[in-house]
Amino acid sequence: MKNIDSKIPVVFARKKMADLLTERSNLISLLPRLGVSLGFGEKTVAQVCADDKISLPLFLLISNVYTMDDYLPSIEELRQCPIEEIVVYLTNSHKEYLEYKFPHIEEHLKEVVADWSEKYKRLITNFFFDYKNEVVDHFKYEEDVVFPFIKKLFEKKSPKKNRPRRSAFDKQHTNIEDKLRDFTNLLIKYIPADVSQRERIDMLEDICSLSDDIEKHALIEEKILFPYINLLEDESK
Amino acid sequence: MKANKIAIADPSPIVIAGLSALLRELSDCEVVLQSDDMHTVETRLRILRPDVLIINPLMIDFSKRRMVRSQFEDLPDMHLVALISSYVESQILKQFHGVIELNDDMQRIKSTLQQVSVKQTGDAEMDSSMLSDREKDVLICLAKGQKNNEIAENLHISTHTVITHRKNIVRKTGIKSVSALTVYAILNNLLEQKDII
Repeated sequence: MKNIDSKIPVVFARKKMADLLTERSNLISLLPRLGVSLGFGEKTVAQVCADDKISLPLFLLISNVYTMDDYLPSIEELRQCPIEEIVVYLTNSHKEYLEYKFPHIEEHLKEVVADWSEKYKRLITNFFFDYKNEVVDHFKYEEDVVFPFIKKLFEKKSPKKNRPRRSAFDKQHTNIEDKLRDFTNLLIKYIPADVSQRERIDMLEDICSLSDDIEKHALIEEKILFPYINLLEDESK
Repeated sequence: MKANKIAIADPSPIVIAGLSALLRELSDCEVVLQSDDMHTVETRLRILRPDVLIINPLMIDFSKRRMVRSQFEDLPDMHLVALISSYVESQILKQFHGVIELNDDMQRIKSTLQQVSVKQTGDAEMDSSMLSDREKDVLICLAKGQKNNEIAENLHISTHTVITHRKNIVRKTGIKSVSALTVYAILNNLLEQKDII
């Protein structure tokens, strides 16, 4: 019976960082993106953030998104997070997906299709790389259009041009999330049973972890970043 | 069996607290969301994707009460149970998969929820069955890159029917994107890779 009272966050400032990470192991992969280094001994979350010069509200907010199903920060919580740091965090996440997570899946994919007929090999490999290209394009759009727009807004330069459109943005996210789930389904259900079981399971584990991660990542952009843009725009009026 | 994720929406905090206390005693239920605010309900539902939404029809805007299903059409797997404390028109109740009344006892609530989830497994069995011939035709056209209106013209059916077939294909295969459906079609020998432009 979890999440009955979603108002009590799992992550809080006075908790020991090490305890938090052993309890919620999915937070470990967030450390490099947030700029937290391992080896913090008995320090609390607040102390580690101070040492590594990371905004504590931002750390709490992002870790809460990753530990609770339905967590959404209040406007007050949002206001305490420096938007440049959110953008740095998101850019770091993109980098990690493309430099670590995707290459890992690609390695597995090579092993999975090694003994397949040329026809199936091409089919699955093409699907995956088309998908990856879509993700690369979407990240590029965010980094070239959305993030600079926010930066200008924050510097009170009130950009008139290139306001990112929320609907197009959400649609791309849904598409990216759906296709990854489709890929999982193809691998679980429709590739015949007798081929590359072990390799397929290794790959599925990586894909599912990426899929969960990307879902939370999209949530941060849709439910935190965009409301923040609206907030800044309202204030500049 | 996996626990049913349940969301509760009612204007009365007392009713919400009472019902979730009762549901907590059922082993196969997990209350994931409880709220007296429709806006919160609508945003969180999309994140939490519960199996069942128990909702007082009074929570829904009067003008939309006759089209409850269409409000949640992006959550096709979610079952709707009406939680009623006063008279509600039967026209409105018809849209729900089940009804819980305020004076229902534990046994009654339990069986209502079970009926709803039985319907669910019934659907699932149907889902696992193969695509119908017509659905296969639509899938092949989709894989070839045709748009809904082109498919309708080719197969001599209405665009509306094409959309229904597409929904069924997605429900049965669990695959949403056209590119993955194309892979599915080739894996199942419905068409050859060279057929795709």
